Amino acid sequence: MVYAGILLGCILGAILGINAPVISYTYSSYLAIAIIAALDSVFGGISSVLKKNFDLKIFASGFFCNAILSILLTYLGEKLNVDIYLAAIVVFVGRMFTNLTIIRRYYVDKWSNKIQNRQKQS
Amino acid sequence: MNKKVISLVLGGMCLVLVYGICVQIKTINNTNSSYSTSSTVNELRDEVLRYKERYDNRAEELEKAEAELEKVRESTTGNNEELTQLEEQIKQGNKMLGLTEVTGEGVIVTLNDNTTTATSSVLDISTLVVHDTDVLSVINELKNAGAEAISINDQRLVTTTAISCDGNVISINGQKVGAPFEIKAIGLPEQLSALERPGGYLSVLKEYGIEAELEKSNNITIPKYNGAINFKYAQNK
Repeated sequence: MVYAGILLGCILGAILGINAPVISYTYSSYLAIAIIAALDSVFGGISSVLKKNFDLKIFASGFFCNAILSILLTYLGEKLNVDIYLAAIVVFVGRMFTNLTIIRRYYVDKWSNKIQNRQKQS
Repeated sequence: MNKKVISLVLGGMCLVLVYGICVQIKTINNTNSSYSTSSTVNELRDEVLRYKERYDNRAEELEKAEAELEKVRESTTGNNEELTQLEEQIKQGNKMLGLTEVTGEGVIVTLNDNTTTATSSVLDISTLVVHDTDVLSVINELKNAGAEAISINDQRLVTTTAISCDGNVISINGQKVGAPFEIKAIGLPEQLSALERPGGYLSVLKEYGIEAELEKSNNITIPKYNGAINFKYAQNK
């Protein structure tokens, strides 16, 4: 159910995105960091669904706060001539890997349990 | 938490995510250049793109307006003998000015930079590239041989055309044109192909290692001049 929703969202987004207008090049670095934040949120969302503690309020507020903070950091970095957005990317990608580990462990456990059950039955 | 709501929220998130990725990829492809964080460079790039788009729109409008003008002219001169003759005169004049597309037999001269010789093996690498003076000399010889219409990489040569050096490209009619240069000339092919004669300019260029080729053709199309010819100081007497 959850994965079907994600797949449907991806397809719809691709269809809309292909027909979307091109944004100004100045804002593309902000959009890039927002994309990374969204990607992080999706992974976080999936892992929290698997851990059965998904909360819509936490999910939504987490995404918006992360995105806004990282965009502000990018802006500040541009003004100070320091690539602060790299720090945001490192954090987001690190969390993505952590969440991926959780997802992976969940499915590997499920799979090995299944095999064990089958062996017991036979 | 309801499963339906969760999948709806995550699906919506993915929609936004993929939408953003698509827009980003399109933007980066459109600017076809490396990533830059400097905002001034980006703004300048934006401005150039915007002006290019505006220029294209205007050129399109101009084309439409010209087609309409042609239609109006035809409809008004259709019944009148005298006006039809005048219309013919205008067409003749436009052809000579280079304001109409023309076809006919002639030659196509292709000049390209030397790509086979290594740049380290020659003393002066500027002998390996085609210069504005080379193009000018070829054009001069073609005109001498009776060329009636000439274009270089689809830039029509008109009375006000200047050919000058512009860094690593050359500027023709104010437009930047780069190698390989395809020079089309309409005229008697046998006369125009005298450019290839031993000791002629093409053989001189070949000696330098520049790739110069001449090809006769029965069907050459030369585009019209895109700009406007405005005379401000020259008055009729």
